[in-house]
Amino acid sequence: MANTLGYGGMTNHLGDIQNSKCVFIIGANPAVAHPVGMVHILRAKELGAKIISVDPHYSRTATKADLYARIRPGTDIAFMYGMIRYIIKNNLHDKEYIKNRVYGFEETIKEAEHYTPEVVEDITGVPAKLMIEITETMARAKPATLIYNQGLTQHSVGTGNTRQTAILQLLLGNLGKPGGGCNILRGHDNVQGASDMSNLAHSLPGYYGLSEGAWKYFCNNWKVDYKWMQSRFKTPEMLHKTGYSVATWRFGVLEEKNAKNNSGTMIRGMMNIGSGLSSISLTDVTKKAMEKLELCVIVDPYVNDMAAIADMKNDLFMLPAASQIETSGTVTATNRATQWRNQVIEPMYECKTDHEILFELAKRIGFYDEMVRAMGDGKGNFKWPEDATREYTQAIRSIGLQGVTPERLKAQSDNWHMFDTKTLRGKGPFKGEYFGLPWPCWSEKHTGTPILYNIDAPVMEGGMGFRTRWTPTAPNGESLLSEVALEGTKSGVKGHDHITAANIEALTGVKLTDKEKEIVKGKTWSTDTSNILVDKALAAGLCPFGNGKARTHVWEWIDQVPKHREPLHSPRPDLIAKYPTYKDKENHYRAFIQYESRQNEKVWAKEFPMQLLTGRLVSHLGTGTESRAAIYLAEIAPEPLLEIHPDKGLELGLRDGDMVWIYGTNGLRIKVKSKFSLRVGYDTASMPYTFSGVFQGESIVGRYPKGLEPYALGEGSNTIISYGFDIVTTTPETKCTLCRIEKA
Amino acid sequence: MTTNVKMEFYCDDKRCIDCHGCDVACKEAHHLPVGVNRRRVVTLNEGIIGKEKFISIACQHCIDAPCEQVCPVDCFYIRADGIVLHDKEKCIGCGYCLYACPFGAPQFPVSGIYGQRGAMDKCTMCAGGPEETHSEAEAKLYGQNRIAEGKVPVCAAMCSTKALVVGDSASVSNLITTRVMRRGSNL
Repeated sequence: MANTLGYGGMTNHLGDIQNSKCVFIIGANPAVAHPVGMVHILRAKELGAKIISVDPHYSRTATKADLYARIRPGTDIAFMYGMIRYIIKNNLHDKEYIKNRVYGFEETIKEAEHYTPEVVEDITGVPAKLMIEITETMARAKPATLIYNQGLTQHSVGTGNTRQTAILQLLLGNLGKPGGGCNILRGHDNVQGASDMSNLAHSLPGYYGLSEGAWKYFCNNWKVDYKWMQSRFKTPEMLHKTGYSVATWRFGVLEEKNAKNNSGTMIRGMMNIGSGLSSISLTDVTKKAMEKLELCVIVDPYVNDMAAIADMKNDLFMLPAASQIETSGTVTATNRATQWRNQVIEPMYECKTDHEILFELAKRIGFYDEMVRAMGDGKGNFKWPEDATREYTQAIRSIGLQGVTPERLKAQSDNWHMFDTKTLRGKGPFKGEYFGLPWPCWSEKHTGTPILYNIDAPVMEGGMGFRTRWTPTAPNGESLLSEVALEGTKSGVKGHDHITAANIEALTGVKLTDKEKEIVKGKTWSTDTSNILVDKALAAGLCPFGNGKARTHVWEWIDQVPKHREPLHSPRPDLIAKYPTYKDKENHYRAFIQYESRQNEKVWAKEFPMQLLTGRLVSHLGTGTESRAAIYLAEIAPEPLLEIHPDKGLELGLRDGDMVWIYGTNGLRIKVKSKFSLRVGYDTASMPYTFSGVFQGESIVGRYPKGLEPYALGEGSNTIISYGFDIVTTTPETKCTLCRIEKA
Repeated sequence: MTTNVKMEFYCDDKRCIDCHGCDVACKEAHHLPVGVNRRRVVTLNEGIIGKEKFISIACQHCIDAPCEQVCPVDCFYIRADGIVLHDKEKCIGCGYCLYACPFGAPQFPVSGIYGQRGAMDKCTMCAGGPEETHSEAEAKLYGQNRIAEGKVPVCAAMCSTKALVVGDSASVSNLITTRVMRRGSNL
């Protein structure tokens, strides 16, 4: 997404979905994963919008759809190419929009040519007639919005899937418009915030990357010496190396061949804060890795299920963390909007807030003074979390957080009745602000940005083109600058590169004073902490990050345009030769990751003829660690049920409700209760991933501390989810698993 | 002041998504035991494309409440605003009301090795019972009395899609009519 449009965030917001004439939902189930957000989709439907659901599972969201297509898992790219080809052949694309704002369109046409309705039907299993009806409905609706979620990201081709959604919306001219956009729904509270803080392995906060310049910029903001920072690492080059991800760290504990990517050492300790470890595939690998660790610390308000799955007698420490109501601070919602959360009660019993735990840890390790130096007076006197909020918002200019202040957020959160729920626009005293100051919010006078890439609004009211995140010219010499100006641009400049000290005068036509020149020397819009460059750009009506074209062609990637590739474990071995997966990847988030060697190891579909879908239950969140410990939620869904088509179930000799063994491609098996259901197709079965407490048929409830066992217990599907990781991000391929089902 | 107010629930099946916000809110608010479900969400035509529906069901607070008519000990009473309540101290747990009710609303806590039924429990529309309003005895037997505080019953307040609505019949009818008009042919 970020490599196509400029940023990876949800482009519009939930209330804005009510402006859509068509809501295209692919790989998402908001009725279950985002029940409160679902009301906006239902309201859109009441106002005449058509709802389309593309999903291998007839989900609760699909029950509200006008059109539903049961797609084979892992074939979304092919499906959308079918749509793209049909759109182009029938002249339904927005030519003016593409000419002005999109680069690489020809490459998309070339690739799409292969995907005739017949080819798409063969790959995806969706009848050509239905695919065409869906395309017609979406392409003729102006505007149409697109919603996706983990159903698209958790694939070996997940990155390609998400790019394809942006490409489809670009061709239809739906990006940057009210009622349009790619609405990526985040799975938990504050996922967008965690992403913005880069709780990830490949970047410093705010997507600044890991380059020397990025480190120096942050060291400057944190008021610490760059040399000191280097000294904290084993070797200086480790600062710039992408780390192990939440999926690959296990291979850093277990496989010696990966040590060379980790300055010659294996991982020996792990500290986990607030992550449901069992939500990652290959639970047995996580288990083995944890059991091998010399130190394992888990910080969680509940008993993290992995602590019970791993059979550890020693070296495992569980620190009770305070819950969200026992602390305060900011949370960033799915639409890039920040809210202030107030503390309701003091932390109960012996639990401590996350920041207190981390401060204590920093004190013991010996860098507490450096850690808090940028807050308050720099001598350890600061106000939490206000000063921390100031520190991060003033540092993260790459997504325009500098206008987000604790004072503005608190005032908004205390007065949310003064904002319109459909547009987020403030009323009365909050006129000129959008709720939550959705980023980018360029200055304290800026409104925030409810809709990304909207060129019909002036920059001070959240207007912008696409970001010039890459060079201003493509390798083929074509300009990547937009051919239309942003609304309200004073200098008449149309497309332009991002604002730097070097180009500011030429672009704005304003002369900087000598003093200003001195301050911004060598700086850009995202590194100038004085905000002079940004303020001058805003005054001229220019967007600080430039006004570029979106790119459907990413020249530096293996798949320059998205390509259909069969999952590692494909139910269609006959298609593997034509649509093979990637070559195995060395040093992928520091680990060796298999692709083609796994795909070609054997004909997986012969031994494992069924596809297993996994998803959420409305009553259990994520791994269910919290919700399965809540008695009334446990009552609704006390155990995992395997949905299986009645015809298939009867053929396997089952009666509705029989226990079954599900065998995975990793040689393990799990035992669950079957439930005959027409929600799944004949050759697929579906179960929730949210359970724990039973591992390969054996109860492990005795391993929970006494009195802290969850009420709802059962097998977690991740024990048998097939191996596979995204080629760019290493997100596990949980959505394409093969299995075999037998009566238990 | 309206004198002929009749309080009622309405569940809009076009909006209900089976999220269980209503029944979990109900149980949390009234501290109900596991197995006693004053409100339930039911699924119709599961998995049948284009036909599946969800609907949230509780006591419908009928005008001619059959439970009241069959009760051998006359423990039911109907308030002036139409809310159907009962006196748990009078109830003998016979279960006649359950047979009479077309919605399966009456619930019975079961205990002991012979599965003796305790006093019946059902949705009060968050209006408590015959004990003194907001007394400890009322809270213990019937849960919260939100109506006396001027609050909406907790199930409808929690409904994520505003499928479940509650109020006097004129207001409910008004709201649903507006939705139906807006949907038009998209009904």
